[in-house]
Amino acid sequence: MFLSLIRKQITILFRSPTELLILLFMPIVLITILSFALGALWEGENEVSKVELAIVQQDDEMQQVDQFLLEAKDFINRTSDMEKYLQHMLPISILVEQMETNEEMKQFIHVTKLDPEKVEDAKESGEYAAILEVPKNFTYDFLSSIYLQGEKPTFNVYLNESEKITSTIVQSILDYYQQQYSLASSLAQSGVPTNIDSLPKMEITSDIRTIDSQQEITSSTYYTFSMTVMFILYIASTLASQAFVEKYFHIFDRVLLARIHPLTYLFSIMTATIIIAMVQVGILFTFAYFIFNISFAQWESFLIITLLLSIVVGGLAALLSSVNYRTNSGEASNVFSNAFVSVFALVGGSYFNISSLSPWLAELGMWTPNGAALNGYLKIYQNASMVEIMPNIIHLSILAILFIVLAVVLFPKRGGIV
Amino acid sequence: MMIEVVNLTKKFKKVNAVDQVNLYIEPGEIVGLLGPNGAGKSTTIAMLSTLIPPTAGDVFLNQQSIIKNPVALRKILGVVPQEIALYGELTAQENLKFFGSIHKMPKKKLEERMEVVLEQIGLQNESKKKVKHYSGGMKRRLNIGVALLHEPKYLIMDEPTVGIDPQSRNHILETVKRLNEEFHTAIIYTSHYMEEVEYIAKRIYIMDKGKIIASGTKDEIKSILSSENTILIKLERQSKEFVNVLLQEPTLSNINVNETEISFTVSKDMNFLPTLLTLSNNSGVRLKSFQVEEPSLEDVFLHLTGRALRN
Repeated sequence: MFLSLIRKQITILFRSPTELLILLFMPIVLITILSFALGALWEGENEVSKVELAIVQQDDEMQQVDQFLLEAKDFINRTSDMEKYLQHMLPISILVEQMETNEEMKQFIHVTKLDPEKVEDAKESGEYAAILEVPKNFTYDFLSSIYLQGEKPTFNVYLNESEKITSTIVQSILDYYQQQYSLASSLAQSGVPTNIDSLPKMEITSDIRTIDSQQEITSSTYYTFSMTVMFILYIASTLASQAFVEKYFHIFDRVLLARIHPLTYLFSIMTATIIIAMVQVGILFTFAYFIFNISFAQWESFLIITLLLSIVVGGLAALLSSVNYRTNSGEASNVFSNAFVSVFALVGGSYFNISSLSPWLAELGMWTPNGAALNGYLKIYQNASMVEIMPNIIHLSILAILFIVLAVVLFPKRGGIV
Repeated sequence: MMIEVVNLTKKFKKVNAVDQVNLYIEPGEIVGLLGPNGAGKSTTIAMLSTLIPPTAGDVFLNQQSIIKNPVALRKILGVVPQEIALYGELTAQENLKFFGSIHKMPKKKLEERMEVVLEQIGLQNESKKKVKHYSGGMKRRLNIGVALLHEPKYLIMDEPTVGIDPQSRNHILETVKRLNEEFHTAIIYTSHYMEEVEYIAKRIYIMDKGKIIASGTKDEIKSILSSENTILIKLERQSKEFVNVLLQEPTLSNINVNETEISFTVSKDMNFLPTLLTLSNNSGVRLKSFQVEEPSLEDVFLHLTGRALRN
């Protein structure tokens, strides 16, 4: 009897060309269009643009070394080894050399040597994310600070505030460089033999590790997930509308007279929705597999998220049906499909990755069924562990429980008499 | 197993949709519930079918309250709602199969019943067509068929002939009669078509404004007007002057004017024909015909409420 109710709902839906057009054809068309139309833009967004760093050197390092050796001849023993060592310790040369020769650094930073007279123009133009200005006598002061107890010199760094991300990268690199160099020079000052190899080597190790282990998210991947989780929501309003038609034409009365409890009927709507939702996801992902070669390595996680999303949509269908029955109109499903789906799609990131705009929006998006599922699918696609998708599982479970409880509470226990 | 309705009342906010209705239905009889639109027939039917709870009163089946235990009645009850309560996307067979299965009918029994019902409603050759492609009359017949599947002892039919052609209407009325005669199904037939109720029902309840205003067999109800004759005259042309003269005539009542046709009731003891001829001559209009009729249920309703049934 329960199976008959479910079979009937599914049969009616699959015999309705308009509904099938919305639930299956539309997402396939949109996935295809968005994947191809926004592909170039999407890949462009993923590229990290190079940090433009300008170096303005006011001093002449070699001349400064010579000057230092000349003036310090009364305090230190000048040997050929020491001269050679000092020439390898030239701080600015080392920094520039490392940034220009290190393969990993080259991917992120482009260094331009500027003439001192152009520094003001460069500051005003905003062309550079950062300008490193090495003052006059920097090398001399640096060597004095090590060997003659002089004051530590500083160089000036001008960061472009409009390029927050890139200027932060530069600042981090320079901070790291300064720390390492200070350590090395302190050791030299203390008489600890300092090997040239112990001088700072600037590497961006942490990012490289994660980038290597993740699958790239392309526009086709993103829009397969985002359109699927968006169009699955329409199943809820469609089934709720079908349920209201049953009330309107007194078919529901016949169901009650057949001694079927109202809640059994409500759960049949929910179950039919879950089945249809899973079929829809299956069809759309099969399409994406054959056309865009999108697949998951972790099928268990994929099935868990899909099942939970389908249950949430089932709960939504039940809730919308309850509101329709209670208000004796089909408005709830209409408002949901015409307004709420669009809002959910926007907040949940189905149109674009809204979570990148602010952490608050990212959190809000996780409280939409499509947002939580989209985020989960993206994580699974990038081989996230079960622990990493746990927040998505929890969010979807909470939404499912909330919708189902509300649906049961609101559904009229009518028939008066049950 | 008699169904008895006692002081059944339903209030919607401050409106008494059904006001202290009392009626009964015995096994195997056809009872007509006659009344104009908005009289409270459908609300009464909904309470009787256990679909909405009454504000007051009760319905008894074998002296057991069905408000407290609706299952007993639901097992033996078939309801034909006024709306076409069917799935247009399914075929007649699929509709019957679905409604039979939710009644938990065994598969074999259901298949047998489907054949019988399709034959009863005359749709055996159209059973594989989607219902949305049916005519209005065919949909109405299937609407009845669904209610017959589980062989109910009581069948409630709420305006089952609304909006269909005369041929389909006759088919439905004959089906109802046959069901009653061959299977002894008790039928509660509501309608605002007086002639339908008069044709099939043995006992009749007339409802207006939520109340039962008359009840009994056809003859018993008509006997309300037993001391009067209904006279139907046809004029050669319309005449306001003649109508005004009739309206001022104290011996006439229930005057109903429909273009050149005028009906009214007059005491059986009175020979009104000479007076009528004089009045028509004075008004300058000629009578085309003159007919003395037995009072109809329509006349009774008009007599009791001052309004026509279908207004």
